[in-house]
Amino acid sequence: MTAPPEPVGTVHVVDPSPLNWLFITWNTMEEPIRIDQDGRTVYSLAESSEWLDDGTLELELRRGVRFQDGEHFTAHNVKQNFDEMQRWAAPHPPGTWLNFPAPESTAEVVDDHTLRFHFPGPDGLAIGKFRGFHIASSAFWDGPDAPGFGYKKHGSGEGHW
Amino acid sequence: MIDEPGPWGTGPFTLVQGASSITTRHVLMAAEPYTSSWLIESEQRDPQVVLEANRDHWNRADRGPRIERAVFRNDVDPAEALRLVCDTEGEVDIVTEVSPADARRVQDSAHARLVVSDANRVLVGIVNRGSDAPLSDVHVRRALNMAIDREAVVRDGLHGYASVIPAMTPPWCSGFPEGATPYELDREKAREAFATASWPARRPLRIAAGENFAEIAHMLAAGIRSTLELKVEVLVVPADQLPAGARALVEKKLDLPWDVLVHGWFDLSSEAPPAAVHREYFGRDGAFRAGPPDEGFDALFDEMRVQLGGEALVRVAEKIDAYVHDQALALFVCAPQALYAVNEHVQFSPYRTTFELAEVTVGERHWSRTGGGGASPSDRMAPGTATARPGFAGASGNAC
Repeated sequence: MTAPPEPVGTVHVVDPSPLNWLFITWNTMEEPIRIDQDGRTVYSLAESSEWLDDGTLELELRRGVRFQDGEHFTAHNVKQNFDEMQRWAAPHPPGTWLNFPAPESTAEVVDDHTLRFHFPGPDGLAIGKFRGFHIASSAFWDGPDAPGFGYKKHGSGEGHW
Repeated sequence: MIDEPGPWGTGPFTLVQGASSITTRHVLMAAEPYTSSWLIESEQRDPQVVLEANRDHWNRADRGPRIERAVFRNDVDPAEALRLVCDTEGEVDIVTEVSPADARRVQDSAHARLVVSDANRVLVGIVNRGSDAPLSDVHVRRALNMAIDREAVVRDGLHGYASVIPAMTPPWCSGFPEGATPYELDREKAREAFATASWPARRPLRIAAGENFAEIAHMLAAGIRSTLELKVEVLVVPADQLPAGARALVEKKLDLPWDVLVHGWFDLSSEAPPAAVHREYFGRDGAFRAGPPDEGFDALFDEMRVQLGGEALVRVAEKIDAYVHDQALALFVCAPQALYAVNEHVQFSPYRTTFELAEVTVGERHWSRTGGGGASPSDRMAPGTATARPGFAGASGNAC
C-alpha cells in the first residue's frame, strides 16, 4: 500500500459567501455523514446505518479515528454532541426544521462504535439532517474555557450549531 | 459555528488561527409547534482564518488534505480579490462567488482561470399568494410563468452561467421528475390563462429584488409587461433594508409590499431537494413561503418525510417537484452556476453544494513552492459586500 502524498503548499482564499462560517466548520469538523462532490450522501464518521424499527436508527461508527488533539473518537463523543445539541430549542441557523424532536429523541451508546438513536416516529430526513450534526472533541465541551457552539462567546447554543 | 481556533474536530484541516462567525437574529414563525429560523445580521471574520493540514486524518489516502495550509483572507474585498487573483501571484489563489459579469475578465486574465460548477442553486420569483392581487389563482401564476423568456434571462442576465430547469429540482439531483420540462415562453397561452382571472384594473404587478438581482427583475418585468399588457413595477430593495424585508417574509405577520420577489437559494445536498428548497419556499414551516400554507404541498411533504427507504423518498420528492410546477407556486427562472477564479497553478474541483479544500493541490510552479509571493493582510475586513452584480455573495436570507 502506497503512503498518501504529504501535504504541500499554501493557498490563499477569498470567500465572500455568507456560508463561510459553515465552510470553515466543514473543513475542520466532521459529521456522521458528509456530502460528496456531486452532492451525494456518503458516510463519514459513521460507516453504516440501519433502521431497526420506525423510530430507532442505529449507526455503526468508524474505527481508528482521532480528533486533532489526539482523543480517540467513539460513540460517547457522538452522544455527548447529540445531548448538547438537544438542549436548545433552535440550535441550527437554518431553522427548526433540522431539529430532532426534544425531549423524545435520545442517543444510546450500545458500545464504543455503535450508537442507537431513538426518535418519536419515522424520520426519513434524519440521515440528511446529520450533515448539520458536527462532532466536536470532549475538550470542545468540557471545562471552563471550552468554547462549545457559542457557549463561551454568547452564553447560549441557540442558532450557533 | 466555531468561535475560536483549536483542535476541535476530526476533519482534514485544523483551525489554527482566527475564526469566522455570524451574528444572527432569531425569527419566530409559529409558537406551536415551535417554528423558527435565524437571519444573518452581521459577520465576524478575523483578517486571516488559517487552516492547517491534519496529517492524521483517517481518509488521507482518498481525500487528503493535499495542501499544508489554507489561508482565508478576509482583509480584501471581493473586487480587490478578483484583481489580485487575475493580475498577481502569491496574493489570492481562489475567489469564490465570482459574478457572471466578471467571468470574462477571469478568462482573459494572466494568472487565473474560471472554474464553473453546476451548483445546487435556484433563482426564482417568490409569488406572494397572500397579495391583494389574485396571485392565489393558479391561472395567473401559470400566465406569469409563460410570459417570461428564461433563455434570455440566462443569456443576458447571467451571461450564460445558469441552466433553465422546470421547477426547483435540477436534473442532476434526485427527485427530478422524469420528462419534466420548463414552462416555455408562450404569449398566446399566457394571455389566455391571464384572461381567466380578474386582475384589478390599474393594479400593477410589483416585482422586488435586492440590488444583486435588480437587472434580472427588470428583465422579468419587461417580459410580463409586454406579454400580458400589464403594468409592472420593479422595487429594488437597498441593502440596508434587506434585513427588515427578510424578517417580514419569514415571520409572515406583516403585509409584504411585493407580489413577486426575485430570490436565490441553494441546497446542501443532491438527495432530496424538497427538504431544503421546496419546503423553504412552500411548506408550512418554510421561511420563504409568502401567503397561506398550501395543503397539497404539505400533504406531499408529510408523505416524504416519513419515508425511511431512499428510493421511496425520492419517488415522493419527484411528485413534489411536479406538483409545485403544475401549481406554478413560484416564478421559476433557472439554476445559476457557481463560478470561481482560480490561480493557474492550483487544481480545484468544486463541490455542487459546499466549498471543500481537502482535494485541492498546488503544482510545482505555484508561488508557495517556489518561494514567491505571500500576502500581507491589512486590518480591513469586507467579505460579502453586496453589489449590483448578479451573484450569491452578500445574499440575504435565513442563515443557511
